[in-house]
Amino acid sequence: MPEHLIPTSNLIGGWVAVGLTLFIFSFLYKDNPLFKLGEHLYVGISVGYSVVVVWFEVFIRLVWQELTKGNYEPLIPVMIGLLIWTRFIPKIAWLSRLAFAFVVGFGSGVAIPRVVSSYILKQIEDTVNPLVTMAGGSVSFSLSFANPQSGINTIILLIGVVTVLFYFFFSVEHAGFGYATARAGIYFLMIGFGAAFGYTVMSRMSLLIGRFADLIKFSSSDYGYATLVLLAATIATLVSWELRRRRSGGAE
Amino acid sequence: MISIDRRIIFLLIALATSLPLLHPFGLPIKVSPEVRAVYEYIENLPEGSVFFLSLDFDPSSKPELEPQAMALLRHAFRKNLRVIGMTHWLTGTGLADDIFSKVAKEMAKESGKDYVFLGWSPGTGSLVISMGQDLYKAFPSDHSKKPIEGMPVLAGVRNLRDVTYLISLAAGNPGIEMWYVFGKDKYRFEMAGGSTGVMAPGLYPFLRSGQINGLIGGLQGAAEYETLIGQKGTAVAGMDAQSADHFVIIALVLLCNLFYFVLRGEKGRPGFNA
Repeated sequence: MPEHLIPTSNLIGGWVAVGLTLFIFSFLYKDNPLFKLGEHLYVGISVGYSVVVVWFEVFIRLVWQELTKGNYEPLIPVMIGLLIWTRFIPKIAWLSRLAFAFVVGFGSGVAIPRVVSSYILKQIEDTVNPLVTMAGGSVSFSLSFANPQSGINTIILLIGVVTVLFYFFFSVEHAGFGYATARAGIYFLMIGFGAAFGYTVMSRMSLLIGRFADLIKFSSSDYGYATLVLLAATIATLVSWELRRRRSGGAE
Repeated sequence: MISIDRRIIFLLIALATSLPLLHPFGLPIKVSPEVRAVYEYIENLPEGSVFFLSLDFDPSSKPELEPQAMALLRHAFRKNLRVIGMTHWLTGTGLADDIFSKVAKEMAKESGKDYVFLGWSPGTGSLVISMGQDLYKAFPSDHSKKPIEGMPVLAGVRNLRDVTYLISLAAGNPGIEMWYVFGKDKYRFEMAGGSTGVMAPGLYPFLRSGQINGLIGGLQGAAEYETLIGQKGTAVAGMDAQSADHFVIIALVLLCNLFYFVLRGEKGRPGFNA
């Protein structure tokens, strides 16, 4: 094969990727059979792929190969896993509780100490950073927005945490000083939501850019003008579907 | 303007995305301290250090996280680090393998000698604990079914305590937080994170508290990293489109608010009929 030619598998992959992207984008016009086809393929392929990977990576690699080597340890988790299936046999369904008890007990035991340490203790430690630090016999207090550990950021963080916590404290009427504190908490929350939404918009736009970059790449002659051909086919299908739908009085 | 057909907005966004991709205008890219921290940490690692890259995403986050993964791998291979890769996302196994193979081929690196891709295994947090005790029990073989015991890339590596630096590129959970909770906090290696834009704000508390030493956020973060390693790729190419999209969105928000206040003012006047 000449070096400049794209391998057949990549070519087919490009056409499939363009087709499915355009089918999903067709929802921007309205819900239609092409979109439904793309949606169902996505769900079906994801599940099919997962089943195959789990079969080979879990059953074959971690269970079957170990058993054939004479290591019978994996039989213990296999037995616990099989107990969950007893839910389908009412007479012995109670056995599944043993498996669930193991999962919940082990999961909680492993997770709780680590989560408390990482999410609560470390974060509290950071919230109550000292304003003034002493190193090498000298006292330092920095006021810089650029430095995360500076005194000014520590003050803002502390005010934010206290006011937001106060906003969610409903046992005291939010009046007078309490009202001002709760309002400040709302403003901190709004800034937080605004930042999160801004990042979400940026993220969604990045995904769109990724799809557009691929559509542009696959529109070249190397890929047989896949984007242009499939765009024309998608539009033609949508027009034909819309005309037929209108003729039949809107029934899809 | 208030009741604008949403398809006009779609068209504007489509134009703002496609035109800069076809004709880039090369806006400057400013590198943030959190991305620079990751770059500098890798830059200062001695040759042969163990760098662990966990690609915890699937194809739905490919546009944001694939450029990050490629830039980090290029940097690590250029520094001759020993790279161990894996994924906690079952549906991302093929993509992660493809990224490793592609960059390794480009940088003339060999599987088993310069890097190893372990693939996927079930367990998430429990798997990390298992890797922290014995890597070879958690992953007896790599993704291509070769036994990992005795591979030159893993010489002297028994468990996660032997990892010098770990980065999780995550599109959700399991990802950065899980690696911190079950990995770094227990096995004491240094770590950083790369995430989708949606996740980034939630990770800043971890960055501030020093639980992670750097953060690469979204396509913007990937573009910053590409700029730092001097190898511009898909992320830098997408930055003009990203800026144009943001400009359109800001303009639409401002215009809609302007029309809203003008209409509200007119409604308040006597004799106004809506």
